[in-house]
Amino acid sequence: MKDLVLRAVPSIAALAAATAVSAVVIAAAGANPAHAFAALLDGAFGSADSLSETLVKTCPLLLCGLAVALAFQTGMWNIGAEGQLLMGALAAAFAGSRLPLPGALGIPTVMAAAALSGAAWGALAGTLKLRRDVNEVISTIMLNFIALGIVSYLVQGPLMEIGGRYPQTDAVLTGLRLPRLIPSLRVHAGLPVALVACGLLYAMLYYTVVGYEMRAAGLNPIAARLAGIPVARRMFGAIVLSGALAGLAGAIEVMGITFRLYERFSPGYGFTAIAVGLLGRLTPVGVLLAALFFGALEAGSNAMQRDAGVSAVLVSVIQATVVIFLVAAEHGRWLPSRPSTAEEALQ
Amino acid sequence: MPPILRIDRISKRFGRLQALADVSLEVSAGEIHAILGENGAGKSTLMHVLSGLYHPDSGAITLNGRTLTLGAPLAARRAGIGMVHQHFTLVEPLTVAENLVLCSPDRPAFRLSPHDAVAHATALAEQAGIDIGDPRAVTATLPVGLRQRVEILKALAGETRILILDEPTAVLTREEVTQLFALLRQLRARDRLVLFITHKLREVTEIADRVTVMRHGRVIATERLAAVNEGQMAELMIGRAAPQRRPRRPLAADAPEVLRLDNVTTARDGGCRLNAVTCAVRAGEIFGVAGVAGNGQQELFEVLAGLRTMGSGRVAIGGTPAALSSPDAAARAGIGPIPPDRHHDGLVLPMTVAENAVLNRNVLAQLRRGPWLPPAAVHAFAAQLVKTYAVQTAGLEAPVASLSGGNQQRLIVGRQLAPQPRVLIAVNPTRGLDIAAAHGVYDALDAYVAGGRAVMLISSDLDEIVDLCHRFAVLYDGTLSAPLTPPVEPEVVGRLMAGAAG
Repeated sequence: MKDLVLRAVPSIAALAAATAVSAVVIAAAGANPAHAFAALLDGAFGSADSLSETLVKTCPLLLCGLAVALAFQTGMWNIGAEGQLLMGALAAAFAGSRLPLPGALGIPTVMAAAALSGAAWGALAGTLKLRRDVNEVISTIMLNFIALGIVSYLVQGPLMEIGGRYPQTDAVLTGLRLPRLIPSLRVHAGLPVALVACGLLYAMLYYTVVGYEMRAAGLNPIAARLAGIPVARRMFGAIVLSGALAGLAGAIEVMGITFRLYERFSPGYGFTAIAVGLLGRLTPVGVLLAALFFGALEAGSNAMQRDAGVSAVLVSVIQATVVIFLVAAEHGRWLPSRPSTAEEALQ
Repeated sequence: MPPILRIDRISKRFGRLQALADVSLEVSAGEIHAILGENGAGKSTLMHVLSGLYHPDSGAITLNGRTLTLGAPLAARRAGIGMVHQHFTLVEPLTVAENLVLCSPDRPAFRLSPHDAVAHATALAEQAGIDIGDPRAVTATLPVGLRQRVEILKALAGETRILILDEPTAVLTREEVTQLFALLRQLRARDRLVLFITHKLREVTEIADRVTVMRHGRVIATERLAAVNEGQMAELMIGRAAPQRRPRRPLAADAPEVLRLDNVTTARDGGCRLNAVTCAVRAGEIFGVAGVAGNGQQELFEVLAGLRTMGSGRVAIGGTPAALSSPDAAARAGIGPIPPDRHHDGLVLPMTVAENAVLNRNVLAQLRRGPWLPPAAVHAFAAQLVKTYAVQTAGLEAPVASLSGGNQQRLIVGRQLAPQPRVLIAVNPTRGLDIAAAHGVYDALDAYVAGGRAVMLISSDLDEIVDLCHRFAVLYDGTLSAPLTPPVEPEVVGRLMAGAAG
């Protein structure tokens, strides 16, 4: 427990520093920081409706944050959660608008299809790394653009809604939409799904042999290899599973909120997830808290703009400064081994 | 000739490690002086003190009769000390001329015409009498030997009187070494002092006028080359094989062979090549592989641990041929490795003591319940290990990085012995440990073979080999000598370590 608290110290310090910087930015823009933060807080937690919106934003951030945490812990620098999320959303939108299945069977099927699709996108980067020594940071970033291009093409062409005028897919069949937890609020069944994923990932990382081997491979691939751990296989498994989690995030967003896929479908959940993963110190519990925090920021930012006259974009400033302070605070020491060490071990 | 450089009682301590202890040395100009010693003997530390990178705890250095400001690289450079590091410090995408201008004191602040840079480089090369080829060539495209010349020229720029070379031949081909030596002789003729750090005996005899041998941070001897042979140098460097101090269990005459190597040969890839290594380790035996580091020890370990593929030859364990295609395969065949570098390949430093106690696939196989790794089982296993091997910890959940070196090593030894490998391969298992900690490791190895298992001890510490081993052989330039049984004449071992035919 004491250990957990100690590990949280840098995250909390980074949050405090980021808040201070944001206060300065708000003041410089001529608004009252206290007023702005109050509005933000109210917009995130002030009512049942705003709390629901916070949780709605938390869902994809949590799943993508877990994806990032798992990959990073295993020494795979997966910057491609966004692309994997889009590929998952694509599979969900395609299957969800076509599969004439009852919900109990159809919803898990669509989710599985989305997870597979995201996993395949992750596997592509994993294969490039392990077979052709392509740095996964570069390949996953590029695969984000490709996924975006594919979505853009499909929603304007082959998958554009039948008889519609907008560049978007057909709506997900009513029976395949995620049920709302409370009828009057938008928060949906994706939240328990994400929480279960969080719990399962925690169990895998800390209570299974594979999870142990993944963590060891990420922190010291050379020692792990000498210990007989199949380092390359574990790294590949991590990025595939990471892609599946991000793909699942795409599915619940399509099936629970938007019901369609369109070009500006994700406000960058996959990118914010990197900040979520780092702020959560790459642990499932930490990621849960960080996702909630970032979800609240996203949800509260509109209220802040409306009530305090501070642009919602300020939230990005907070997010970015958190990450910079966090990494700077420890010289990136607690991050898994740098790519060069991993490459040495993979030879 | 009066000494140009006088090093007087320099000491330097890093934490618990006394890296240099009262080191004194006097050298004159026009001399090539070799500093000889094993890895970790303090050679590089001493040179780093000389070039101002480290500030010593005590002692003084005088140069041409003037006291040198210590711990100031710029002062050392101005006083005429130039250093060529083992890892080059050239900017590879730049041309040779640009690299030389970079470190020139009168380099222009803003604008640099390529023409001026080339002129500067050519002048510098002519003045020093060093051929650097085309100064317009991009550094990255040059062969290593030529890059080193540029590095030397860089170090010589200005009024350099003392040139320090740190293991300069490690990266060179034989031909490039010959060229380097010719250049060093030329510098000697120009009255420069060349300090040459190495652990290769042959190079010392080939190039040096005098040699200073260091061991464990101390100067063991400074001799004229005429007065010592390679065998004596090896002895000074590694320690003389003192009479055996530890009682040893006699080996049964009919003890079966546990590990057998037949003509194991590896491909050359930068390091040393194993050349038809043949030996056998019997049940109950500690078999030693002695020799100066860099003669194939690392390669031998890697082959047996499944980290490196054999070119030809075979390895049998318990009479059955073993395919050592991966560390996992080696472990399944019954090999337990104790790697040479605790932090690099033995431990996952950010993990806890308990997590490191199970970093071994065979241990994990014992503890797993299907896919699960119950924390209670890990805890119980780690607790037992820590108790058996007297590992001092602040708790099983403490980071393993918080343990002292000796305790880390005992944890590794215990972990690798736990799955009862048929043969343990240990490389310098007591490096950096104090005597008590080293004896803890020795006791563990003794106890292990007493149970009928076998140990191959690859060590550059001859005392350790003679103390511990039933038999040992000497590895030199990838070739393993015939086995010797202690006690042996130190002279014999010294000659073998220096490459004389056994």
